[in-house]
Amino acid sequence: MSVRTVTVRVNGVVRTEDAWDHTTLAEHLRTGLRLTGTHVGCGTGDCGACVVLLDGEPVCSCLVLAVQADGREISTVEGVAGGGDLTRAQRALIEEHGLQCGFCTPGLVVRMAHAAGRGGSEADVLAGHLCRCTGYDGIRAALRKLSGGSGGDR
Amino acid sequence: MSGAHQHIGRPVPPRHHDRLVRGHGRFLADLRAAGVLYATLVRSPLAHARIVGFDASAARSDPRCALVLGPDDLAERTAPIPTAWRLPGQPEDRIPIAAHTARYAGQPLGIVVADTPTAAEDLAEAVRLDLDPLPPAATLADALAEHAPPIVPGAAGNEAGSIRLGSPEEDVAAAFARAELVVEREFTLPRVNPSPLEPRGVLAEYDPGTGLLTVHAGSQSPHSMRQDLCAVLGMRADRVRVIAPDIGGSFGSKVVLYPDEAMVCAAAVALGAAVRWVESRAENFDGAYQGRGQRTTARLAVGHEGRFLAFDAHILADLGAYATQAGSGPHQVTALTLQGPYHVDAAAATVTGVYTTRVPTGAYRGYGMQEAAFIRERLIEEAARELDVPALELRLRNLIRPEELPHTTHTGLTYDSGDYGAALRRAATLAERPPPSDPPWVRRGTAVVAAVEITAFAPSALLETFGIAWSGWEGVRLRINHDGTVTAYSGVIAVGQGIETSLAQIAAEGLGVPLDWVRVELGDTDTAPHSDLSAQASRALTLAGGALLIAARRLADRMRTLAAGFLGTDPDRVTQRIGSRADPSSPDAAFHGTDGARITWREVAHRGYRGWGNRKDTDRIRLEEAVDFDPPQITFAHGAHAAEVTVDVGTGRVTVTGYWAVHDSGVLVNPLIAHGQIAGGIAQGLGQALSEEARADAEGVPVTRSFREYAVPAAQDVPEDLVIEHTCTPSTAIPGGFKGLGEGGTLLPPAAVTCAVAAAVPEIAHTLTSLPLTPSRVRAALRAAGITAEGGLR
Ligand code: FES
Ligand code: FES
Repeated sequence: MSVRTVTVRVNGVVRTEDAWDHTTLAEHLRTGLRLTGTHVGCGTGDCGACVVLLDGEPVCSCLVLAVQADGREISTVEGVAGGGDLTRAQRALIEEHGLQCGFCTPGLVVRMAHAAGRGGSEADVLAGHLCRCTGYDGIRAALRKLSGGSGGDR
Repeated sequence: MSGAHQHIGRPVPPRHHDRLVRGHGRFLADLRAAGVLYATLVRSPLAHARIVGFDASAARSDPRCALVLGPDDLAERTAPIPTAWRLPGQPEDRIPIAAHTARYAGQPLGIVVADTPTAAEDLAEAVRLDLDPLPPAATLADALAEHAPPIVPGAAGNEAGSIRLGSPEEDVAAAFARAELVVEREFTLPRVNPSPLEPRGVLAEYDPGTGLLTVHAGSQSPHSMRQDLCAVLGMRADRVRVIAPDIGGSFGSKVVLYPDEAMVCAAAVALGAAVRWVESRAENFDGAYQGRGQRTTARLAVGHEGRFLAFDAHILADLGAYATQAGSGPHQVTALTLQGPYHVDAAAATVTGVYTTRVPTGAYRGYGMQEAAFIRERLIEEAARELDVPALELRLRNLIRPEELPHTTHTGLTYDSGDYGAALRRAATLAERPPPSDPPWVRRGTAVVAAVEITAFAPSALLETFGIAWSGWEGVRLRINHDGTVTAYSGVIAVGQGIETSLAQIAAEGLGVPLDWVRVELGDTDTAPHSDLSAQASRALTLAGGALLIAARRLADRMRTLAAGFLGTDPDRVTQRIGSRADPSSPDAAFHGTDGARITWREVAHRGYRGWGNRKDTDRIRLEEAVDFDPPQITFAHGAHAAEVTVDVGTGRVTVTGYWAVHDSGVLVNPLIAHGQIAGGIAQGLGQALSEEARADAEGVPVTRSFREYAVPAAQDVPEDLVIEHTCTPSTAIPGGFKGLGEGGTLLPPAAVTCAVAAAVPEIAHTLTSLPLTPSRVRAALRAAGITAEGGLR
């Protein structure tokens, strides 16, 4: 076990912190960098709550080591709207009640930000994300709204 | 007279969503604490064993170690957790924290505290357990076998007591003697994991200077957690404070104090420090109390022209290693609700609790009512098949009609209001559609089923009758602040359901003010009114909301009276006019006299705070109302669900191709939230119908320990076009006419899906008595009936 210095550019800001070589990126973000928006629902790559963008690509940050992210670019849920206006996807999730407890939401918000403009199908976005609260109904309504459909029928 | 806001009934997006989509939630693992230490539990790897040794010397000598508490240390520092709802004859009335025998794999035996999470994990592994294995009894059959190992020391056998609820024996016997048809089946409802996406966790901080223990916990019921902690740690109630932060789902699995949580608190007290424990997903599968776990023999007697005569059941309830605080409660609710929305001459059920060497079972969304609905609706569907009448017609013939309400069931439940037939007919109509042409190996079927749902679990006197050591009432405090804004305090908890928004809507409605003037404050036992049951049993909105409506109306009257005093007129000559976007000090948020005089809402609040104005000695000063609401009776919601399924007779795979739900939860405060609750409940119910089962190996060691082995529904498992409708029969017991809806969605999917499979493949209908309907289980039934993709087509 050893400690290494990890430098990442996270949500546009360069951050340098020490990390154990066994520390996951999820834990590093949450504990080392105090970005607790990224949630750990399983730690085994099954739920998608911890999804962040690593060099622009979605990854489960519970399956990536912090040291593997050294020198790379990371986007987390906190960076999606920055401190300012919500994105269309975030607004759609709110309006269509696409979350309840919100524990799964950060990964989904990151995934939707990644999919925005790429025209992936609803199934592409939802694959790899578990939500225990919504039955996916409100999330689907939000996705329909984003793809120009009517959104919810409620 | 009041501001015409009508917040009740508006589909307002919940207010907590904004911060959560930004990643600004404050869940347990997110909370900061200075100098916090980290805990890992030492858990039994065996399902049943005597603990001969707990050697922590290696861990204790490690410089990273802060504390280790083993069974002997825990015995000195803790008392067992008292239980609240027991079966007659139950041999144990407390839940041991210090264990000298492990009774399930995953049981916490000790706790290790260190300066980092990794160190705590390493050191927990360094504890050397010396276990003397005892034979496991992982199933009901094993536990009830003749030479089964006794799980509770000193008890005769593994039965945990028994209770019979419902009609007298002679009435049941007479009804069955009159029957033209008796349908009897044995049903198995397996153990399931509630699986909230956020596992459990505790951050406990003890300040030796003040003697205060502050516990942050993802608890659905902080007040009951505090009471249990006082009993366990021997502490005074005024020294223990429990605070619930954001909670990532709960579904019943976070309602009571667990032994591992108590150990974390005991460690914090021992250390005089802050200690955090966050459960891993595997621990949640092993150690969080599971739902269901029941094997039931049940029968339905049918008389002339398909009239239902009686239900009778014997429920074997798998309580697990010990009876939790509510113990057999869910199974007793199965017995209580078996009759459902139908007339019968008699209905009764026996619940026998059974100890097994598995993690205890406890509350899970649906709480016995889902089991009752499955058993009842399956029996009815089987009766219809045997009588060769359409099941819908049979149901409609036997339903309790709206004009027959209130109606008291054979288990003493008085249904207040509802139109069961309207919901059933509507669900059936929604599900009508021309069948598409399926390939020859696909069978398709539809079914529609119904249930009545206990909501707003209260009154306190009812709990007393059942011998449940909890209260059922709910209290609120509502305050108008000096600037005219409003704060509401309630003992119910936000678990993602959006209760803080619904309660704000109710308060704003009662006061006639804009929604954003109202903040709802929940979750801290130091400020929240007492609540034992809090956010469970579909009661938060109904009971806290009912109380809040009363408080808001009172406060609105007091504001008007104050305003009248300042305006020098009578209260009934004062009009409150508040614009929907006004703030409390703006001129369009004012009380108006008849002569053109006006005073703003804020000014009234401000002067009220000064104690100004004409006031009698007996008038209250503070602009605050506290209301305790204990309703006269339970209020009953109801619903009907229809499912359409396809069965691939080659693979046995069942696909839900359509799902329609009609619910009646009285007056809906927020239709958006109501829809979300029902949709989420349906998804969980579909999981239980088709994929979820908490399994253990022959030794009783869990084998479903991740989302790979335990399949909670993913998006593709829930139909895209769920149809959810609401009818409205206002509650007669709750101010505002509200009924609960937190569990309703969960009650019917297993029954609806299974009955639809029976309709699709009637040849195997009589075997469809066990959940989940996995492809292998269905395939086995198909093969046993001689049906294959190639040969067995109709
Ligand atoms: S926490 Fe990473 S996938 Fe679940
Ligand atoms: S909103 Fe709770 S898990 Fe998705």
